[in-house]
Order: sequence, then C-alpha cells, then structure tokens
Amino acid sequence: MGGHRPGWLSAWVSWATVLYLLLPITIILPVSLTDQRFLSLPYEALSLQHYARLLTTPAWTDAIGQSALIASASTLVAVVLGTACAIGCWRLSRRSTELVRALMLLPIIIPSIAYAVGLYRYFARLGLLDSFTGVVVAHGVTGIPYVVITVSTALAAFDPRLESAARGMGATLAQTLRWVILPRIMPGIVSGAIFAFIHSWDELVVVLFIASRRVFTLPRKIWDGINENLDPAMAAVAVLLVGMTVLLLLLDLALRRQRAD
Amino acid sequence: MRPAGRHALGWWGLILPAFLLMTAFYVAPILQVLAISFTEPQPGLGNYERLLTSESVQRVIGTTLRIGVVTTAIALLLGYALAYRIALSGPRAQRWWLLAVLVPLWISVLVRAFAWVTLLRRQGLVNQGLMAAGAIEQPLALVWNEFGIVVGMVHYMVPYAVLPMLSAMREIDPRVLAAARGLGAGRAGAFLRVFLPLSLPGVIAAGVLVFIFSLGFYITPAILGGGKTLMAAEWIKLQILDLIRWGLGAMLATVLVVAILATLAVFSRLVNLRRLFGAGG
Amino acid sequence: MSGRAGHALSLQGLSKRYGSFVAVQDASLEVGSGRFLTLLGPSGSGKTTILMMIAGFVEPSEGRVLLDGRDITAVPPERREFGMVFQGYALFPHMTVAENVAFPLRVRRLGRAERDARVRATLDLVQLDQFADRRPSQLSGGQQQRVALARALVFDPALLLLDEPLSALDKKLRAELQDELKALHRRVGRTFINVTHDQEEALSLSDEIAILNAGRLVQVGAPSALYERPATRFVAGFLGRSNFVEGEAERDAGGIVLRRGGTRVLGVGEAPPGPALLSLRPEKITVLAEGEGEENVVEGRIAAWSYLGAGYAITVATADLGELKVHLPAWRIPLVPAEGMPVRLGWPRGAAVAVAEDPA
Repeated sequence: MGGHRPGWLSAWVSWATVLYLLLPITIILPVSLTDQRFLSLPYEALSLQHYARLLTTPAWTDAIGQSALIASASTLVAVVLGTACAIGCWRLSRRSTELVRALMLLPIIIPSIAYAVGLYRYFARLGLLDSFTGVVVAHGVTGIPYVVITVSTALAAFDPRLESAARGMGATLAQTLRWVILPRIMPGIVSGAIFAFIHSWDELVVVLFIASRRVFTLPRKIWDGINENLDPAMAAVAVLLVGMTVLLLLLDLALRRQRAD
Repeated sequence: MRPAGRHALGWWGLILPAFLLMTAFYVAPILQVLAISFTEPQPGLGNYERLLTSESVQRVIGTTLRIGVVTTAIALLLGYALAYRIALSGPRAQRWWLLAVLVPLWISVLVRAFAWVTLLRRQGLVNQGLMAAGAIEQPLALVWNEFGIVVGMVHYMVPYAVLPMLSAMREIDPRVLAAARGLGAGRAGAFLRVFLPLSLPGVIAAGVLVFIFSLGFYITPAILGGGKTLMAAEWIKLQILDLIRWGLGAMLATVLVVAILATLAVFSRLVNLRRLFGAGG
Repeated sequence: MSGRAGHALSLQGLSKRYGSFVAVQDASLEVGSGRFLTLLGPSGSGKTTILMMIAGFVEPSEGRVLLDGRDITAVPPERREFGMVFQGYALFPHMTVAENVAFPLRVRRLGRAERDARVRATLDLVQLDQFADRRPSQLSGGQQQRVALARALVFDPALLLLDEPLSALDKKLRAELQDELKALHRRVGRTFINVTHDQEEALSLSDEIAILNAGRLVQVGAPSALYERPATRFVAGFLGRSNFVEGEAERDAGGIVLRRGGTRVLGVGEAPPGPALLSLRPEKITVLAEGEGEENVVEGRIAAWSYLGAGYAITVATADLGELKVHLPAWRIPLVPAEGMPVRLGWPRGAAVAVAEDPA
C-alpha cells in the first residue's frame, strides 16, 4: 500500500490481538482430548473417551439432533422470506422499502434478551411455548437480517436492466426470478443461509425463555453443563461446534471467491 | 424504470411475507415488552420511577455502562491496530488476517465463554501455569468478577470493532499516505495527520456498534460474571424468570431498547450494518 | 420468422410527470407499419421515457399507447410482445449466446425442437451462428449488440425497440453496425423504434425522425425534410449546424422577406409579419467570385477560418447580419482565405428557412 508499512507497535499489538482471539478457542482442543475425568490438559495420553461419551449419551445426541433440525427449518424460513424481501426492496427501491429494510435489521440490533422476554409472554398466549414450531419461528425471524444483508449486497452488483430485459421479452415475475435473478445472486443467498444457520445453531437466550423440556437444543445443554458440571465432554462438544463453524465459514469464503471471479 | 402502480404489486408481494412475519413475531413481542412495562404490576409509570429511586436499578445501569465503556475502549484499541495492520498488508496476507477475525466472530458465544472459564478459573490453565512457573503462590481471581467479564466481552467484540474500521480504512486512497511522506511528514506524522483522521468515521461506527452490543449482552457476562456482577440483560432475566417481577424487567428491557435505538439513530449515517457482513470477501 | 408484417403504433397525448418534474409533455405520434422511426434529442429530452412508456416499463401520467388501433396502455411489458435492445444490451451473463436468444422462447414454453430451430435461424440472421456456445463476456461489443438484436427478434415481436443501441461502440464500428442495422430492418420488415442522441445516426438510419426537446416533441418528419425545413431554432441547431438571422418579416410572393438594418434577406416558409428568425445552413452559403450573382448577396470580411481537409470553415463578419459561418468544399472556394480579407457571400432563397423560436 504505497510503500507505507505499519510500525512495530501496531505489528506487536495486532499479533497479540490475533493470539488473544484464537488461542482460547484452540485451547479447548487439547482439553477435549484429556485422559482425565476433569477439565485439564492431557496428563499422560490423548484420549477420545469424551467424544465417545458425547456421541453415546442420548441427552447430547438428542440435543444435537434437535438443534440441527431447528437450525435447518429456521434457515429455510429465513432464506425464503429474507431473499424475497431483499429482492422486492431492491427492485422497488424507494423510501418505504428502505424503512422495510431497516425493520428487517432490527433483530441484529435489539438485544435478544428484550425479544426473549416479550416472546415468552407472546408465545404463552399462543400456546407456542416449548414447541418446535415456536423455536423455528423465533429463529427464522431473527435469521432474516443475515439473509437480507447478504442478498442485498449481492443484488447491489446486479444490473437491474437484466430484469427489465427479461420482463420485456415476456417473462413473468416468477420466470424472471427463477431464470434471471436467483441464479445471479445464488452465492449471496448461500452466504445468508450459512449465517442464518449458524445463528440458529448457536442461539441460546431466546431458547432459555421459550423452551424448557420438550425442546432442548445443544446450546441449552451446554449452558446447563457450564452452570452445573464442567467436564471434558463440554470441551468435546465445543470442538465439534467450532469445527462446524469453521467448515461453514470456509465454504462461504470459497463461494465468495467464486463469485468474485 | 422503477416499477410503479400496478407493475409494483408483484414486487410488494415478495416483501409482504417477511414483513408480516417480522411484524407478527418480532415487532409485536417487542411492543408487548413496552406494554408490560407500563401496566404491571399496576398501570402507570411506577416501574420507571424506580430508575430514580431504586439503588439496585441504578447500580445495574451503572455497572452496564461502566463495563460497556471499558469494553468498547479496549476493543477499539486492539481492533484499530489489527485493522490497520490488515489494511496495509498485501491481498494474500489480508485473507489470512481476515480469517483470524471472522472465525472468532462466528464461533458460538457459549463455546468462547466456556473456553475462558477453562482458562481463567481458580484451577484453570492460566493459574496452574503461573503457579507451576512459580510466579504466584495463590491462584488469582481471574473470573467470576468484572475482570473476567471484560476479558470475555472484549474477545467477543474485537471482530465487530475490526470490520467497520477496516472497511473505512480500505476506502483511504493509499496514495495520500505516500503523498504525505513525499511532502515531508514522518511515519508518525503521516499516520496522525492523514490516516487517523480519514479512518475516524470507521472508528466511530465501530465504537457505536460495540457499545450497543455490549449494553444488551447476556451470555458472556452471565457465565464469566458468575452471578456476582450483574449487567442489564442478566438482571432482566433474574427479575422475570426468578423473581417474577415482570414490570420491572420489562421496564429495563424497554430502557435498553430505547437507548440502543436512540444511539443508533444519532449515528445512523456512520453505522452501516450491511457493510459488516459484506466485508468477508 | 414468419412473414408477419410490422405493426402500426400510435401515441396519443402521452405525458409523464415525476412529482413536479415533467419528463414528457403531451407527445402524440404515428408510426406506420414497417417504418424505422428514431426518437432524437439531447439527454434529458424525454426520449428514453417515451420509449419506456411504449415498452410498458413506465406508466404514462396521461395519454394512451395504441398498437394497430388497440389501446395497450394498461398492458404490462411482458404481455406487449415487443422486442427490445437495451442500452448496454442487458445480456444475461450467466447464459450462453444461444441460451440468451432462447430466453424469450423459453418463457413462452415453446417445444425444444422449435426453440432450437428458431434460435439457429435468428443467429444465422445476425451472423453469429458460430458463437452460440460462448458467454456474452467472451464477445466483442459489436457481437454483443447482435446477440441483443437476435434476442429481441427471435420471438417475432410486434415492434422492435432500440435504446441507444450503438452508443457503447467506438466510432468506426458504429458506422459499420448502422449499415447492418439498416439492412436488418429491410430484411425483417418489422417496425423499429430507435432512441439516440446522435444526429448522424438518426439521419442515416431512419425513415422518420421525431425530435424532442425538454420533454416536448418538436418536429416529426423524414430526415431530409427535417434537415431542409426545420420548424424551430432548436431543430435547426440540433440537426446539423445553422446560422440564425433575426429581423422584421414581411410576406411576399416567394415566401418571406426579412429586414435587418439596411439588408433584406429573401427566405422561404411562413412567419407572421413582425419579428422573425431565419435559419441558414453554413454549407449552403457560397463565396461569390468576381461578377457572380445570387438571390441573396452580402458583403463582409473573414474574421476567422480553419482548414478541415475536405474544405474550409470560415467565419465572416457582416455589417447587418453579424457573423455568418460558412462551410466550403475546397474545390468551390475561389480564393485562399486570410483574416480580414473582404468577401461576397451568396445563397439561394431556398437556403434561408423561417423557423420559430422554441417555447421556453
């Protein structure tokens, strides 16, 4: 960059910051492989016993299954609605749609504790507490912002004349969406889906309020684990979560690079 | 060629489902919080009176603001150095640096809090390491206090601080730095008089973002505070789930939401959320 | 392509307002079947807005669009069956050339075999048959333009609308493609409506030109008619160049006589007695040789001149008519120009055309 190099201070601080960001996350890997029955680094040998326990304890596997199911369903909701909304706002692009877009971003801005409190009472009246549907709706709605953001970004690079051209040649709205708009913004949609999935997969605060016994997600199980008994199985599940996130992010980066080409 | 009139109907139809769902299942519950804060236990402003009279409410607000300010300051400092470093490195190196920021951003808050507990508790790896090295005799109290909360929160916030600052720095024409050097400014002079002022909008955006996220933060303070240091979100949860004082909890939640929206409105020109999530590539 | 003839289009009192801004005001126009009409005007004159109202992308604030006498004002663009070549072409970058051209047939759910046959025939028509499997990004600008044409023609549209189809190309290529476009129009026999700001393109391509200024249709007619007999100062100045002479008009048997100072200029056209304006093309003025005469003769001195290769551009200062610009082919000039040199200018009566001032 113009031959301007950062000085030693910024180099030192930035390396320290990156270590601060990454080390605590990586430390859980050796902890999860400990041969002890309590949280520690391995003493004598590496052991997969905690992973084995994790994958054979129904409480954990159930939680993983439920989380996967809820995350998938709510991602579907968020992607379908968020994409449609982003496309509509993009094409109409006027002051009112700017307001709609701002509305769609609220779930990222407003603290989830406020939402969770309100939803608790709201769902109680609708009979949706502790239900699969309830959690999917809550996670779906709060996942919409991620999709709206990524799809809007993808649309910003889309030439609106292509849409006019398609309509001018006789394509209906549905045909234009399917053949012209969606193929062009697919990477943005996939990015949005990845973020919406991660959002639901990790979401705890809302679940703490609106779910109790029947719906028991993985973050809920980890939360109980942290508050009750800190054991190495927690480290194992943490490693699985980190692995999954990293995989999804690499997928996203690969897609973005493809889009850039 | 913006569609208008009947041509626009189809496009409005695309917006409608998301709008309805968002209104019915997001805005309505939030409004419900507002309503509860004015109606329970009795209709009126009783709950808001507590802002002025209740020492416990004031203490929570004070703690929340204090931790928010400290977290924001540290996250900005670390984030600025990191963003500066990223902005000035080549495209290949930039990708790796960016990955080091984005991976923690998306890793579960719970996992991160858990990792910090593993490291910082009395029998944790840090204390064990320090004792084994003979640096300390007694384990230090690194967690379940404000120190632990700040360590965990800054860890969460640094990526949110880096991304807006980085996108502001990327818009700075690198030639102006070269020009400043060419005109006789030293390295420090070029940075202080040229780069820093130009990156300031990004710093403000990052500060606003980190601060408003800090205010409503629940998981990290709850785990790393160990119930001893209460921030707003945990206090609200306590009022509602444990003490069943709905009105009071809803009141503080409303105050939180209003404070955050007001902050954002004031700085709306500078904070572009969309940039944050587009900055990955 | 079927042997279907072109269709006739008629615009009746078309207006478009955006808030208080008037983009198009009360435009009425008839386009005969199989004609090539060009909407010509500077940027912001409303020509593209008119095209978009014809295409159906912009809803008129007032007025109607009729196709063969049928009111289509309320028909959405996808049901109008008009082919359109967009500015910059708007080719679908994720589809091949063949897929782009097949798109209009695909949305009409045509069978695969017929679709392929028509795509091939249309690509033949624009001489792109060997490029069927390329992506638009792998084509040159001229090839992209032809893909856009093929895509707009493949579904046998009632009208072909062209929005600045040549503006993205460099000058030489533009001239080449102008000829091709003209030949294509003749071959397919469809009604073409073209939008451009380039007066040369309009003159060379069109059967008819409609000139727009500030949202109003100023004059419609054949290119030569517009050039020879412009109706207003704007038309005379925009289509080619012109000298303007202001003065007091009177009628006489041959047209009008304009009086300015001690000079009388004979002109053609209509103007009520009183202040009037004549337009005089620089290439219709000649420098008279010794003893030569003309219907109009004015004396002056050369104020400036430049050599253009094919001829000279000379500015002559006259006593009553101000400065007159004169374009002379090199072989017609009886002298070597020099600043300050006295000259006699002459032009036939028909070269001076009475034009109206444009409404503000």
